[in-house]
Amino acid sequence: MTWDRRTEDRAAAIVGRYPEKRSAVMPLLYLAMAEDGYLSEDGMRRVAQLTGLSNAQVQGVASFYTMYKRDGVGEYLVSVCTSISCMLLGGDDVLDAVAAETGVADGETGEDGLFSVEHGECIGACGGAPALQVNYELIEGVTPDHGRALCRWLAENRPAVVRGDDLQERFGGRRSFDWGPVEAGGATGAVPAFGPLGTAGEGS
Amino acid sequence: MTQILTTRMEAHPSDSHTLGRYEDTGGYAVLRTALAGMQPDAIVAEVKASNLRGRGGANFPCGVKWGFLAPSRPRYLVINGDESEPGTFKDRQLLERDPHQLIEGIILSAYALGVHHAFIYIRGEYPRPARRVQRAVEEAYGAGYLGRDILGSGFDLEVTVHLGAGAYICGEETALLNSLEGRRGEPRIKPPFPAVEGLYAKPTIVNNVETISNIPWIVGNGGAAYDAIGPEGSRGTRMFSLSGHVNQPGNYEVVMGMTWRDFIYGYGGGIRHGNALKAWIPGGASAPWFVEEHLDTPLTIDDVAKNRSMLGSGAVVVMDETTCMVKAALRVVRFFAHESCGQCTPCREGATWLQQVLTRIEAGAGRDIDLDLLLDISDNISPGLAWPPAMTTICPLGPSAVSPITSIATYFKDEVAAHVHGGGCPLG
Amino acid sequence: MAEQPTLVTITVDGKPAQVPAGTLLIEAVKAAGVHIPHFCYHPRMKPVGMCRMCLIEVEGPRGMLLTTSCTTPVADGMAVHTESDTVKKAQEGVLEFLLLNHPLDCPVCDRGGECPLQDQTMACGPGESRMVEEKRHYPKPIPISDLVLLDRERCILCARCTRFSDEISGDPLIEFKGRGNAVEVNTFPDEPFASYFSGNTVQICPVGALTATPYRFRARPWDLEAVESTCPHCSVGCRISVQSSRNQVLRFMGVDNGPTNQGWLCDKGRFGFEYLGSPQRLAAPLIRNADGVLQEAAWSDALDLVAERLGALAAGGPDVVAGLGGARGTNEEAFAFGKFLRETLGTNNLDAQLGDGLDARLLAGITARGTIDDLERARTVLVWAPDLKEELPVLYLRVRRAATELGARLIVVHPRETGLDPVAAHTIRYRPGAGTELLRRLADGSGDLAEARRALGEGPVVAIVGRPGAGDDPRLAEAVLAFAAGLPGATLLPVTRRSNVYGAADMGLDPGLLPGRVAAPAGTGGRDAAGIIEGLIAGEVAGLVLLGADPVADYLEPARAAAALEAASFTVAIGLFLDESAAMADVVLPALGFAEVEGTVTNLEGRVQKVNRLLPGPAGARPTHEILEDIARRMGGSIGAASAEALAAEMAATAPAYAGITWEALSWGEGRRGIVAPGPAGSQPLVHAPEDHAPPPVGRNLVLHLARVLYDQGTLTQAGPSLAKLARPAAAHVHPEDATRFGIPAGATVRVTGSGGSVELPTVFDPSLVAGTVYLPLHCGASIGAGLEITMEAVS
Ligand SMILES: Cc1cc2nc3c(=O)[nH]c(=O)nc-3n(C[C@H](O)[C@H](O)[C@H](O)COP(=O)(O)O)c2cc1C
Ligand code: SF4
Ligand code: SF4
Ligand code: FES
Ligand code: FES
Repeated sequence: MTWDRRTEDRAAAIVGRYPEKRSAVMPLLYLAMAEDGYLSEDGMRRVAQLTGLSNAQVQGVASFYTMYKRDGVGEYLVSVCTSISCMLLGGDDVLDAVAAETGVADGETGEDGLFSVEHGECIGACGGAPALQVNYELIEGVTPDHGRALCRWLAENRPAVVRGDDLQERFGGRRSFDWGPVEAGGATGAVPAFGPLGTAGEGS
Repeated sequence: MTQILTTRMEAHPSDSHTLGRYEDTGGYAVLRTALAGMQPDAIVAEVKASNLRGRGGANFPCGVKWGFLAPSRPRYLVINGDESEPGTFKDRQLLERDPHQLIEGIILSAYALGVHHAFIYIRGEYPRPARRVQRAVEEAYGAGYLGRDILGSGFDLEVTVHLGAGAYICGEETALLNSLEGRRGEPRIKPPFPAVEGLYAKPTIVNNVETISNIPWIVGNGGAAYDAIGPEGSRGTRMFSLSGHVNQPGNYEVVMGMTWRDFIYGYGGGIRHGNALKAWIPGGASAPWFVEEHLDTPLTIDDVAKNRSMLGSGAVVVMDETTCMVKAALRVVRFFAHESCGQCTPCREGATWLQQVLTRIEAGAGRDIDLDLLLDISDNISPGLAWPPAMTTICPLGPSAVSPITSIATYFKDEVAAHVHGGGCPLG
Repeated sequence: MAEQPTLVTITVDGKPAQVPAGTLLIEAVKAAGVHIPHFCYHPRMKPVGMCRMCLIEVEGPRGMLLTTSCTTPVADGMAVHTESDTVKKAQEGVLEFLLLNHPLDCPVCDRGGECPLQDQTMACGPGESRMVEEKRHYPKPIPISDLVLLDRERCILCARCTRFSDEISGDPLIEFKGRGNAVEVNTFPDEPFASYFSGNTVQICPVGALTATPYRFRARPWDLEAVESTCPHCSVGCRISVQSSRNQVLRFMGVDNGPTNQGWLCDKGRFGFEYLGSPQRLAAPLIRNADGVLQEAAWSDALDLVAERLGALAAGGPDVVAGLGGARGTNEEAFAFGKFLRETLGTNNLDAQLGDGLDARLLAGITARGTIDDLERARTVLVWAPDLKEELPVLYLRVRRAATELGARLIVVHPRETGLDPVAAHTIRYRPGAGTELLRRLADGSGDLAEARRALGEGPVVAIVGRPGAGDDPRLAEAVLAFAAGLPGATLLPVTRRSNVYGAADMGLDPGLLPGRVAAPAGTGGRDAAGIIEGLIAGEVAGLVLLGADPVADYLEPARAAAALEAASFTVAIGLFLDESAAMADVVLPALGFAEVEGTVTNLEGRVQKVNRLLPGPAGARPTHEILEDIARRMGGSIGAASAEALAAEMAATAPAYAGITWEALSWGEGRRGIVAPGPAGSQPLVHAPEDHAPPPVGRNLVLHLARVLYDQGTLTQAGPSLAKLARPAAAHVHPEDATRFGIPAGATVRVTGSGGSVELPTVFDPSLVAGTVYLPLHCGASIGAGLEITMEAVS
């Protein structure tokens, strides 16, 4: 199996950034996820070929990390922090609100494939607790009501690119610190929005 | 009030992360001077003289660590931006708001250490910081601060930004190296330490984002100037991430030495709704908790250690009187059980067992023997429940899961008993 | 010989002890007689310190340090405590943690009775679980290959299996999956653990998480009888424990013999014993009756007939009778066979090989002959030989270890990719037939071979040399050996596969050799295998004795062998099965086989090791030496074989290289590791001078690379159900460029025609070949002979 030309070029560029090709496994897994919307077996096979590992080894790496989703994942992955600081300020209620609004329970993906909901551990936004992420784009200072409204808005507007600044502006509250200027980029799927992965959605 | 790391971002909130602003405010000047006139050893000497201690959690003196770097080549520098310990969000701010400060620190450090390839490992849930850093790296390449023959000095340096994928354990330096090598993020047995056998089994220095962000200032102002700030053993400024039930959560760059009372009630603006303080975690989720009696303890690395806890990653999580201590402990234990890499038996099995017993107690199904059971399980992970902890495990993550247990057993025994006897939380 | 280790002094629980320096504490205290419980540590793998069972205390500058003894190197003056309260508490804690999620199914577990976890629990485990929660659950054993089952509930996550597959065998098809409490061992979906070495993971799994399908529920450890022996499957000679119950061999376990297998076995060796209990085993003599049908007969009738017919033929002159075989049994059997042929029948027409090996005089000992252990010290290793992973699997493991663990530079020369290529510094490919030319270029270091040539200049060099393909000219291997002999610090290992071919050569089963590595006097004459077969066809040879040999299936030109047997006026086959050749014989005599007779065998290093008897074998079968003696007596002679041990004693007394190598010497102490029979004094000339070896022409079109694979259609492989199903169907491996040239689409069927026939086969593209080469696996049900030049055409 191979990817299309653009993705293969990107993969080659990623491999080139490391002294040993095995190191490229993690970014390539993201690339594979961005390609298929989740981490497929074929995706892992391709990563194995590109890095000289066995498929089982690639699976061993992929399954170690929580962000490589080997089962299908919704268009919008909502990860609600319920670690200590967020818990203290109502993170559990935000999770409940999000689950209720989307009809998707913690750890599940909705049948229509629109939402996946999960509780997460600390996402480094404790100063703006409770916090959540949509496709890893952060929103801080979220109340249960805001959580509901956010999900409603996503369902109604179906943005192709999820922009953290935009969501924070609409549904967020207190921030851990001043984020600085609004950014153009955002996430195009349940993969962190990062230039070298081609997932930063900066063009759109 | 001395500020080193956050001056630029406070003065220029709209563009402190850009190359233009960085250069405007004196950025890369130190690098120019150093590459033109300083020997690598001289930089190492300044860092040693500064008595800068690592900001990743272990507080290890940075210059001493650099001194352990084995002579063979190639060597690598790896910046630990995996920041994932609950309560911690300081590196995120440094990455997002002043990435060039970090990059200049990296170039200076790499030059000092004879490194030609550095990596910045950023946790996967930090795409915005990663984007900002990536863009800054590209700017730096464009301006000739990175790449071949930097500023005509003959010194070459490549920098690769690497994204994690959701594993707290990859913050542990050897797990991070395994992860960066494309392996499962399992910590390695030490020794050998990374300075001798690190990335690709080559000599490697792993430093925290905040640690390296201090380097431009130290090289620019001299190690002695840094060493003149703050009390002995806790020199310089330090970023604290304050969260929980305080009125003013946030990151604070402070000179250490003040009391906890000053920090929580001064910087933090006191407890929300005027509630009473019940407990706080002084240094990230792995630190044993403090309670009211510690309010007048000075906020220094050594004073906290004397009181059987640690400043760790600089995360302070404050809990007010409405907080259920069993629930809070469970939440922290759950984190460590979830984040255990799974290779050591005591951590893999023990942390999960602790979580199971606490879950039962919280649900009102606790038994009288459960607190002793919790302590005995903890003792089998961290024998003697001593401080600093002894370990039956490879890395300190396992023993971290014990901190909340000993904390509630020490300060909130009655509250645990009330759960057991009252069929659940007495606070409702 | 092993050097004396330097000793350091430590105190163990207050008592001073002298222990070898440079070892890990767990080994050091073992040397001092203290056992530390452990699960993940395995002496043949790098320590990982994962299970945490082996915790002990070491006195340090800052007080007692609790540490894992499997990861801490010993240092002079160390004081360690293995029984302190802290240590006991910590070890008991770890054990309790391990048992939390371990199922209570010891009574139905194959490991029950020989399980370190069970033993440790009996010794000091908690009486009852303090955990009231549910245990972790997984579906009960899942097959992860045809041979191995995995029960994840029993697994204690020690990573021995995954480390073995990654570090030792180099096929990481099983790995940890998940994290923390959800870690499990597993394969990739739909990609089974199809390793040639999978059985080792079953053996080293410290619990019953990995079990072998062939052994599952077959016996309880306490019902097993066992003897130590030597694996009969190839010439590496791995040390094994043969274990049986109720006269059935149930399993082989690897025994850690440092100089050879270091504890490992290949799956063919481990699971290949099933043929012994096959219902197809011959249990009575057969005589061809008047209707031409083989019919059961009494031993005395069969022996009478053989003696009469052979006697009559042998009277016609030394050249009229001949013997083939003897490379699969013991040295004693080979010795008896040689005596029978030479002394009783008076012929020098004898060959243990079938023209597919190397000159026996090379095998019997060339100068600078190496040992496998030379690989431990090698700087550079040259492998110009069969694919070791397919043919000598445990030698592959040893070479792999040299290249990965020990940092030796490995150079592999072969017509296509081999199992060692991934760890080789240089892989050199060539078309069969062009080897001589390649050797010349390698010796000169010309062009792209300069780097490899430079590496060969850095000794010590170990050269492992054989015929890469069955059809290769054996004189190429001789030329390579001659070249390698001149490299710095070189030691040489000439390799061929059949298990005791070295022993057979040492016993003189070759026209040019007498027992004990003595060259036959010049002008002795006699025919080798090819000579015998052609002689039979030409009518110059008339009588044939086969001992465990099946030329009709095994000879590289099977059609010639069949014609030879057809032409023979009398053939007697002594063996275990009615194989293709026996089916053409006039008399078939059932012999006892492995584990049914006692004796010695000689491996590719010339290492003599004992094989032992554990089973009676089929009631009607007899030991080979007795069969031969009975025939000899009927012919008025004797080979003096009162017993196998008597033959061994005679060998030790008369065959120079075997002087002093008695059963007694091989049965005790260091002797159990085998004794390497000393090579010839002075220099043994190579058999053919390299110059007489004009390279055969490489045709303009296609040449054939014919090589063995581990699981083939061989009689012994096919007679056991476990391995029989692992044999893959034959395919023609074609270079993609040739496919284009010949207009063959992927997966199409082709007709290939060679020196001995023509077959139709599916194709597989193999870019690792040099264009112009077609690779066919040998003995996979498709034979076209072994001639170099072949033709190929697409079949529509
Ligand atoms: C479980 C665990 C998690 C850790 N996580 C981090 C982290 O997220 N960031 C960090 O800088 N150091 C972390 N550390 C500490 C690192 O192992 C290492 O000491 C540090 O990166 C060294 O940098 P410094 O000397 O500059 O502090 C962690 C350690 C442990 C045991
Ligand atoms: S203590 Fe826990 S996280 Fe650390 S190495 Fe052991 S199992 Fe992994
Ligand atoms: S299957 Fe056996 S060898 Fe493999 S990790 Fe589990 S217990 Fe260890
Ligand atoms: S605890 Fe939720 S972001 Fe840190
Ligand atoms: S045997 Fe030492 S940790 Fe497993």
